[in-house]
This record gives sequence, structure tokens and C-alpha cells, in this order.
Amino acid sequence: MNKTANRWLGGLTGILMAAAIYMTFVYVPTEADQGIVQRIFYFHVPCAWVAFGAFGLVAIAGIFYLWLGQPVWDDLGYAAAEIGMVFCTLVLVTGSIWAKPIWGAWWTWDSRLTTTLILWLLYGGYLMLRAMADDTPQVARFAAVIGIVAAADVPVVIVSVRLWRTIHPAVLVTRQGGHGLEDPRMVATLLVALAAFTALFIWLLMLRFATLRMRARLGAIARGLNLAQAAAGDL
Amino acid sequence: MTAAAPIAARGLCKSFGAAPVLRGVDLTVAAGSAALIIGRNGAGKSTLLRILAGLWSPDDGAALLFGEPSAALAPAGRRRVGLVTHQSFLYPNLTARENLEFFCALYGVAGASKQIARWLERVGLATAADDRVRGFSRGMEQRLTLARALIHRPAALLMDEPLAALDAEGVAMAAALIDEALAGGCAIVLTAHQPLAIAKLEFALYEIVRGRLVVRPAEGGAEPRGAIDPRQPAA
Amino acid sequence: MAGFAAVLRKDLRLEMRGGESLVALVALSLLVLVVMVFALDPAGGVRDAATAAGALWVALIFAGVIGSSRVLLAERDNGCLRALILSPLDRGALYWAKLTAAFIFMAIAEAAAIVLMVLFFNLDFDWRLMRMAPVIALGALGFAALSTLLAAITGRVRAGDMLLPLLAVPLFVPALIAGAKASGAALGGAPFAAIAQWLKILVAFDVLFVNAGWLLFEYVIGEE
Repeated sequence: MNKTANRWLGGLTGILMAAAIYMTFVYVPTEADQGIVQRIFYFHVPCAWVAFGAFGLVAIAGIFYLWLGQPVWDDLGYAAAEIGMVFCTLVLVTGSIWAKPIWGAWWTWDSRLTTTLILWLLYGGYLMLRAMADDTPQVARFAAVIGIVAAADVPVVIVSVRLWRTIHPAVLVTRQGGHGLEDPRMVATLLVALAAFTALFIWLLMLRFATLRMRARLGAIARGLNLAQAAAGDL
Repeated sequence: MTAAAPIAARGLCKSFGAAPVLRGVDLTVAAGSAALIIGRNGAGKSTLLRILAGLWSPDDGAALLFGEPSAALAPAGRRRVGLVTHQSFLYPNLTARENLEFFCALYGVAGASKQIARWLERVGLATAADDRVRGFSRGMEQRLTLARALIHRPAALLMDEPLAALDAEGVAMAAALIDEALAGGCAIVLTAHQPLAIAKLEFALYEIVRGRLVVRPAEGGAEPRGAIDPRQPAA
Repeated sequence: MAGFAAVLRKDLRLEMRGGESLVALVALSLLVLVVMVFALDPAGGVRDAATAAGALWVALIFAGVIGSSRVLLAERDNGCLRALILSPLDRGALYWAKLTAAFIFMAIAEAAAIVLMVLFFNLDFDWRLMRMAPVIALGALGFAALSTLLAAITGRVRAGDMLLPLLAVPLFVPALIAGAKASGAALGGAPFAAIAQWLKILVAFDVLFVNAGWLLFEYVIGEE
């Protein structure tokens, strides 16, 4: 990756993240019903947003890889899956921390929790495949197929789990007297946090993507060196 | 028959990891001619054959069957290719006859049952026709493998050590089959550890040396036919 | 079409002859149901339709993970899968043949499992089973489609056998939820309207994965 872009994006992420932390802990008013714990919401939702976006990117990169066969798409999908997995884990952890005082249990089989857990399992399988298999075009095609199938499965998972049960607060869909964000400061904090996590995601993605590209280039250089050495042996 | 040679390689390169196995292999085998490729163990004979067959994709260069890239060969082209590898491609739990029946169905061989009886006779397995392949000796399996590879009258034949595990009578039988295929206008690539001592057959003889194909003048044999690129004569 | 018939006939013949996987599938279903009875201990005489249906779906998942992928794994012997890839056989025909074979084996294993479930959970052989049969058939089809696509991947990767359940089971979750609920309701004698919504999910899952498998199979079965 271009050094300047890296520096700018890193700086932007740092500033946004500092702002998000300040707003979450100092600026935003404490929610009346839930108390201090509710503040984790400003990290929880952006993590979910990033995880879903990353997994969507895995599927898009998979489609482009199968279509065009260019290794860059494979590397992009791999990087997105790894980062998505990190944020998906954070969603589950922050959700658990919030659920314990509010619902009285670390885990409930609520629809969104269940969906997130299944996503985590799906992409865990994807990363297991990548970790266990060699780094060949065939395995890249396998991973692309898994990424596409997993994304295609998500809507069915959501519908089935929602029918199954739900007790998760519908935060963003305001109901009368419900859990909507009454205070405009809450909305502002959520938006800044979303921007900060999105910037963080893009920065991490570019770094990881650049690393994977570099690894591919190193492999090509090693092959070229060996070829040149062998050619020298011909003389 | 179109102008394109049945079997051709153009600048084939293949590395495993960073270790080059093939580095720029050129080969053309015209209809009705045969190329024998020798080389020590691990020289890349099987790799070359697998790439020619379209099982593996080359890192660089092109493997062509009937002028089309091997891996993207249309079904009509695949119907005209025969392949013998170290793997027999036989189902252990089917009888010899059933195995051939299955392959005839896949390849759309006309008058299959008559052909099967004839080929079982030719490879000396008429008495074992209804025995399961599981109980076959290595040599019997190889005989059936030859029948399987030839029964659909291929126009391009790729044979990785076709004489392996055969007894003297089997070698004579295989030589007769290969000779007959040649006379019928088939293009053949064979591999072996050493030049074959088969009196009747005429091969263009090549050796894989450090990942390149070099022409060997066969003792008392024919001059190599077809366009080849003998950049580096054998040491 | 000829290729489809040839592969399917060959697979069924191999199965009739060896019979290993079908016997193993039925034995596995039996074992899972027995284990479920021990683990859940449904009190004698209490006819808990929901528990019985749940046990049946656990049996289906085990049979699917261990059994239905065998249809493709059988091609690993002597490199037969490579021979199929190089033959003129259409990749789509190969997919449909393998899917059909996997579905037939799973359906047979499930039929046996339903009989065992009735015996072990002290239910009745009546019209309610007929209501449950299409639910189980849809579940078996969904898993067969899933495992046909995934086995083509895991069968060609190191330690892939371990990977198959890790990939297949999470993907199968929506069908599992819908199937277990619908079977429980059907066994409990609920009206059709109560299982219709679950049937819709099952059908959607099957349509999605049968077609996804068909579209993506050629990418996983191609050259190495």
C-alpha cells in the first residue's frame, strides 16, 4: 500500500476513534432505563456493522474471483474474512457483557445473537479451510465458493431465527415508548462511532490486503530467482 | 483433422512452491506420431503429462489438445483423449466389465458390449471379466487401465509409464496396442524411466533434464518428428 | 442425460454391492436415537412429539455429515474423480447425479430413522407420520445439496473430512430450525397452517442450495 495513504488513513482513524471514545464515555448522557452499561452500545453496533460489511465483501470478492480469476480478489476476500471475524467476535463479546446486567444472562437465544453466532461459525469454517489448505488457485476457488454460499445463507438464517424467537431490543426501529435513541447526542455519538469503526476497518483491510499482496509478490520473486538459477545452470 | 496438432505444449512452466519443475517445455506431437519422454524419478514427467491432460494448470505457457487449452477442452475434445496415469481410474468394487461399461457410457462408445468383450480379450482379461477389480494384481489392473484408455479410440493418448507392472507378454501386448493406435492416426506421448526396448515402435525420444525437454537421438530410431525446440542438447 | 444416468446407475450399483454406507447410515441413525433417549430420558408413556422430532433431526445431521458425502468421496479411490473430470461428462450432469444419489441414500436412512423414532419414543404409526414425511424429505434434499457441493471441496483438501461438518452444519441451521419445528408440529397433530411457514423456509433453503450447488459445482470440480 501507498505510504501516504496509509499515514492519512491511520491518522483519520486515530482522530475519529479518539472522538468516539470521548463521546461514548463523557459526552453522551446516560440512558435512563439501562444505566451506564448502555454505553457499550456505541461500540457494539459499529462492530456489528463492520462485521456484516466485511462478510458481504468476502462474498463480493468471491464472485469477482470466480468471474475474473485474478488473485487480488482472493487476497481481498481473505483479508476481509479475517477482519470480519475479529469484529464478529467483538460483537459477541460486547453483546454478552451488556446482556448480563440487562437480561440477567450472558447468553440468550435471541434472534440477533443467534444469527451473529451462526455467522461467526460460518466464517470460522471459512478461515479453517484457508488455514488448513495450501495456498493454491484451487483452494482460492474453494474459499470463494464458501464465501458466496455463506452470504447466500444469511437471509435464510435471519428469517428462520427471527421466526424462532426474538427478545433483542429493536434499537434502530423506534417503537412507541420503546428503546429508540431519544437524545440527539446519542445519535451523534453513534454516528461518530460508526465512522470511526468504518475508518478502522478500511485501514486494517488495506494493511492486511497489502501484506497478502506482498506475500504473493515474494512467492513470485522466489520462483523467478529459482528459475534464473536453474537457467544459469544450463550454461 | 484440423491443422492443430493433437498434443502440444508451448513454453510450459510449473513450480511447486518455489521449486521449479518445468521451465519452458515445448513439444508438438502430430497425428500418427509418438513422443517418448524419459527422465529420472522426480524429473517432472508425470507433472508434464498431468498438465497436458488438463488436470493441473501451468504457471506459465500453454498445454494444448487439438489446439485448445487442455483445462478448458470442450466435451467433444475430451471424448478424443485417452489417459493412463499412475492412478488406474478404476472402481475397485466394480468388475472389469462394469468398469469398461461405465467408461463406454461416459464416452458414448457405440456398440459398447461388443467392444468391451473384444478389448477384454485383447488385454488378456477375458477370464477375469466378471471379477471385481479389488482382487486384481497390479499387472491385471494395468491391463484393464490400458483397455479403459483405448476403448473409445482416442486421437490423443497420454500414457504415464504404460508398461509399469506388466510382464513380458503384457509388454508385447501393450506395444501392439500402441502400435495399432499409432497406425490409426493417434498422437501419443509416453513416459518411461529409460528408453523402451520395443523393437517395432518408432518414437521421437526426449529427456527432461533440469526442467527442460531435450532431444535425444534414439539409437537406430527415427528422427524426431514435429516442431521442437532443441535449445540445449543433452550433456 | 446419458452421463447423468450412467453415473447414477454406477453409484447405486456400487452401493447395492458394497452397501457399507447405507448400512452405516441406518446404524448411525439407530445409535443417535438411542443416545438421545438416554440423554433426554423421556419418561415412559409420555409422548413428547417435539423431543422425538428433535432427535430425528439430530440423526439426520449425523447421517448427512457422515453418510451423504460418501457418494462423492467414493470417487477418490484410484483417482476416479479425475477420470470423471477429464471425461466428456458435463459437470452439471455430474452434480445432479451425485445429488440424486446422496438424496436417495439419505431418504432411505431417514425412513429407517422415522420407524425407529416411533418405536423408541412410543408414538403411533398414523397419518401424522405422513404429514411429517415431506418435511423430512425437504431436509434430506437440502442437506444432500449442501454436502454434494461441500464434499467436492473437503474431499480434496488435507484433513477435509474434519472440515465438512464445520462448514455444513452452520449452513444447515435455517433448515434445521424450520425442519425440527415443522416435524414437531406435524407429529403433535397441529393443523397444516401451523407448519406452512416452516415449510416455506425449508423450500427456500432447498431452492437456494440446490441451485447454488449447481452454479458453483463447476468451480470446485475443475483442474487442480
